[in-house]
Amino acid sequence: MKKDEIRIAILRIEGTNCEEESYNAFKILGTKPEYVHVNELSRGLKKLNDYQMIFIPGGFSGGDYVRAGAIFASRMKGTISMDLKKFIDDGKLVIGVCNGFQVLIELGFLPGINTDWSEKPQAALAPNISNRFECRWIYVKKEKNSCEFLKNIDDGKIIALPIAHAEGRFIFSKENEKKYLEHMIDNNQIALRYVDPNGNYEEYPWNPNGSLYNIAGICNENGNVFGLMPHPERAFSRYQHPGFYRNLYEEPGKKIFKGMVDYIVKKF
Amino acid sequence: MIEKIDERYNVYRIKIRSMEEQDLLRISDQLSLALNFEEMLRLRAYFRNLGRDPTDVELQAIGQAWSEHCCYKSSKFVLRKYITGIRAKQVILTGEDAAVVEFDKDHAYVFKMESHNHPSAVEPYGGAATGVGGIIRDVLCMGAKPIGLVDSIFFGNLNYPYDSLPKGVKHPNYIFNGVVSGIRDYGNRVGIPNVAGITYFDDRFITNVLVNAGCIGIAKKSNIIRSMVDRVGYNLVLVGGKTGRDGIHGVTFASKVFKTGENVEKTAVQLGNPIIKEPLIHAVLEAVDKKLIYGMKDLGGGGLSSVVGEMCLAGGVGAEVHLEKVPLKEKDMSPWEIWISESQERMMLAVSDENLNQLMEIFSLWDLEATVIGRTIKDEKLILYFHDLVVMDLDTHFITSGPVYCRPYVIKYPAQIKEDMIPPEPNYNRVFLNLLENPNIASKAYVIRQYDHEVKGNTVLKPLVGIIGKETHGDASVLKPLIDSYRGIALTSTSNPKLTSIDPYWGAMSIVDEAVRNLVSVNASPNSFADNLNFGNPENPKVMGDLYEVARGLSDAAKYLKIPYVSGNVSLYNETNGESIPPTPTLMGVGIVKDIRKTVSSDFKDHNDIIYVINETYQEMGGSIYYDLMNYRSTIVPKVDLEKLNKSYKTLLKAMDKRLIKSCHDISEGGIAISLAEMSIGGDLGLEVNVSEIGNIRSDFKLFSESNTRWVIEVSEKNERDFVKMFSNLNIYKIGKIKDNGEFKIYDGKRLLINQTVNNLRRHWTMFPVEESK
Amino acid sequence: MVKVKIIVSYKEGVEDPEGLAIKKSLNLLNFNNVKNVTVSKLYEINIEGDSSSVKKEAEEMCDKLLVNPVIHKYKIEVEKI
Repeated sequence: MKKDEIRIAILRIEGTNCEEESYNAFKILGTKPEYVHVNELSRGLKKLNDYQMIFIPGGFSGGDYVRAGAIFASRMKGTISMDLKKFIDDGKLVIGVCNGFQVLIELGFLPGINTDWSEKPQAALAPNISNRFECRWIYVKKEKNSCEFLKNIDDGKIIALPIAHAEGRFIFSKENEKKYLEHMIDNNQIALRYVDPNGNYEEYPWNPNGSLYNIAGICNENGNVFGLMPHPERAFSRYQHPGFYRNLYEEPGKKIFKGMVDYIVKKF
Repeated sequence: MIEKIDERYNVYRIKIRSMEEQDLLRISDQLSLALNFEEMLRLRAYFRNLGRDPTDVELQAIGQAWSEHCCYKSSKFVLRKYITGIRAKQVILTGEDAAVVEFDKDHAYVFKMESHNHPSAVEPYGGAATGVGGIIRDVLCMGAKPIGLVDSIFFGNLNYPYDSLPKGVKHPNYIFNGVVSGIRDYGNRVGIPNVAGITYFDDRFITNVLVNAGCIGIAKKSNIIRSMVDRVGYNLVLVGGKTGRDGIHGVTFASKVFKTGENVEKTAVQLGNPIIKEPLIHAVLEAVDKKLIYGMKDLGGGGLSSVVGEMCLAGGVGAEVHLEKVPLKEKDMSPWEIWISESQERMMLAVSDENLNQLMEIFSLWDLEATVIGRTIKDEKLILYFHDLVVMDLDTHFITSGPVYCRPYVIKYPAQIKEDMIPPEPNYNRVFLNLLENPNIASKAYVIRQYDHEVKGNTVLKPLVGIIGKETHGDASVLKPLIDSYRGIALTSTSNPKLTSIDPYWGAMSIVDEAVRNLVSVNASPNSFADNLNFGNPENPKVMGDLYEVARGLSDAAKYLKIPYVSGNVSLYNETNGESIPPTPTLMGVGIVKDIRKTVSSDFKDHNDIIYVINETYQEMGGSIYYDLMNYRSTIVPKVDLEKLNKSYKTLLKAMDKRLIKSCHDISEGGIAISLAEMSIGGDLGLEVNVSEIGNIRSDFKLFSESNTRWVIEVSEKNERDFVKMFSNLNIYKIGKIKDNGEFKIYDGKRLLINQTVNNLRRHWTMFPVEESK
Repeated sequence: MVKVKIIVSYKEGVEDPEGLAIKKSLNLLNFNNVKNVTVSKLYEINIEGDSSSVKKEAEEMCDKLLVNPVIHKYKIEVEKI
């Protein structure tokens, strides 16, 4: 399909607050992004089926009062999760950034180990090891993974992205940790890992939240559901990148978004 | 004295007409009106003349409207004389909830800074959070999209001994963590980047913390909405949160001196709810874009009473309001409580009948409450109903005609003597490292990183700049508010209580100088200021004297530079048990960046580049952190040469426009040595400099003097000639070169004063806060 | 009407940064006997129904919203009011 036919639903409820920069990113790439309030879906005013991609942006949905992403997830569970499952089964893209990643974990669509949709969460994004919200730029290394749309970034490439979250420590329960982690590695589900500037898998502060195995972003086995803690939409233009002041003109976020758009153009 | 008007409702008539003089004050106290004797006398005369007694609702409404917080009765005189009169062509609108200033041909920026000191002293978390919430609403209700937050916060030192705390006073650690978490949790949740501010420590803030919150927004000029309604028959629509007993008497509370141990009215502090605010911003902006709103105002101090009164007064109309229609948190609230409650997250919209339905639909989509509670009428009166009962019927002019006082004042003239004692020369390396660890110099990353300063993706120059993982302090942050334009907005905040308490006049000038320096450092042209004046008890003539001198200093500087104060706030009575805060004016400075692609950051860029200092360094050690550290006192504070400041900043902007400057940092607390250290830390580059030429004074004064109007800049060898030529009308000093060997060496002539490594500097500079390092 | 108290805490072995930070602060305040701090969340829910039906409902609430079983455990107490 053509770029300007691609409809992207940017989901929101009260407290999502990164929808604007995400919208702008897709707009600049020539697609048709659209803000979609969960109420519009549950009231039948808009239909998921009309879109090729769902983007769940960052923020503090529902205030993150119970647990990050839990309220947004439960609102979706009650209303549109069956539609969402079908959407995913159709091979369309579902992306969650930061709070959106937390929502996908809470909903059970990620990591999706041995299933495309787990009734109960299989992993958690727990409070940062530093016990505080942290907003700063970090490095991630792109790992070999099954997301087609990340193919435009070479495996092993180190990119800088900003993070801003209080709950981003990816972990499994102790009893499943070894089994699940191995499963994810074997199935190429780990897309991004936190590293130091030289590419070493270092501890805090380079691993900004204390995630297991330095996990920053993961996908499901099919590679069409992708969640990450860093914010590619804040690293879209070269002027957002702190390296700009040092004559480094990098646009890692644009690469990630462009990959998604190109993928849809090819696939549908 | 008091009698119930109607069996069914909690409304009382106060028989003020027949009251003896001694009863007047008692009734003011009993109803928590915070009105003084003269004001009560004036009320009695008014109702005697009217031929009836007031209801409790009416008295409460007047108590709110005449409070210091709402009508600035102590400071109005000073403000009019000095601050509010500076005119400039970029100013579009002042005197409303927030100021409106031109950004480009079609857009305006809208901003304000306001104190939230008293609530934050009682409940740091909720007080700070609601301070942020209130300032966002002020900007939003002008029809602007909030795009940046600024927070300047002042505490006692975090290592203050627990045993020495005055009784009933909370430790600075507790207050600091509460305030920072409150700002963090509110700002991050509503999704507005927090990009600038001050975190300041001084034991004179032990009993009275200061929280000054600022917000800036952007709007199409054609979308600006006035904080008033001048048409009859318009609906008054209350939107957002429900009304509760929280925050009753907040404004009268802010107009009193604290005593510890006093049973502080619990109702005066509230928590705020960012998850009502966040969708409220979306809904309001959508309605603004569709031109559905005619007038709009935020409900802050004084609640419905202030907002309805002020909107009508400004437009020359009146209103009928049905209090029983106001959605409540608690069922059994009395009419007067509904009328003056300061519950958060509420806004008042004036909407025509024609647009009402469409407006209601938008709010319903966001699950937000919106209720028509009244209508505007032709007579300039406020008529309140509670069901069928009229509970208030007053002239709008009388309610808002609060008194203005010209309080007595005494001006302190600091003795212009030479320093009576000059400290011996220090151990340079040790003092330098101590300064880096000083809480007013050390890295504030601990605070800054807890605030999301990049949400919305418009923060092109961040508050921490430099190599990822090694960032240093920037001078000002730069936002790029429009997607299709490279024009930017720079934000900074300045204050220096150490200077203003020694010399309020020159101290005030210095903070203007610093605001200009900060903005110019990133290649922004200073455009306007908001001023927050935090002082002690205005009934103390010395405090009033300081207020006059600060206002005069702010005024003299800004008038010369033609930079107007477009919005501001005065917070008085910051005093507990007779312990007053130092005079603390805080500025929020806004600059225009013509092209964000040319912004300049403070971190050093390249090996072998040349380092220059712009302008002279003097022995002006009064109020410096160096003297504070050494425990020496001097009344000789840095002065400001306005002509030099004006010339310097314009030349510097010209050089930046030609891309001659690779990095720039202003020289402030800690002097040249600290500026150089911060630039080295952020760029992870060393240096070798010699300060022998910069002045004819002792080495420690060269390194640590805080003289105004100075910058450190980096220029490449290639551009050095052009740079020098451009600055031919100013004194500039070539002091050395940037080195990539990681060594940080400062000489004065042949003496090697400081011999460090950049890594060691960073280790000391990042030790804040104290607790973390243990 | 009954009051349901749901206490949600971290499972053994899940690091609780808030608890650790509070422990550190308390130790710094010279509460040297403090060896361990854990932080739990307490939800108090007033709800119509009898004790046994309500307990079942509370478990469902935990399942659907209040608990992530990967890191949390919970305890339910029911009180008549």
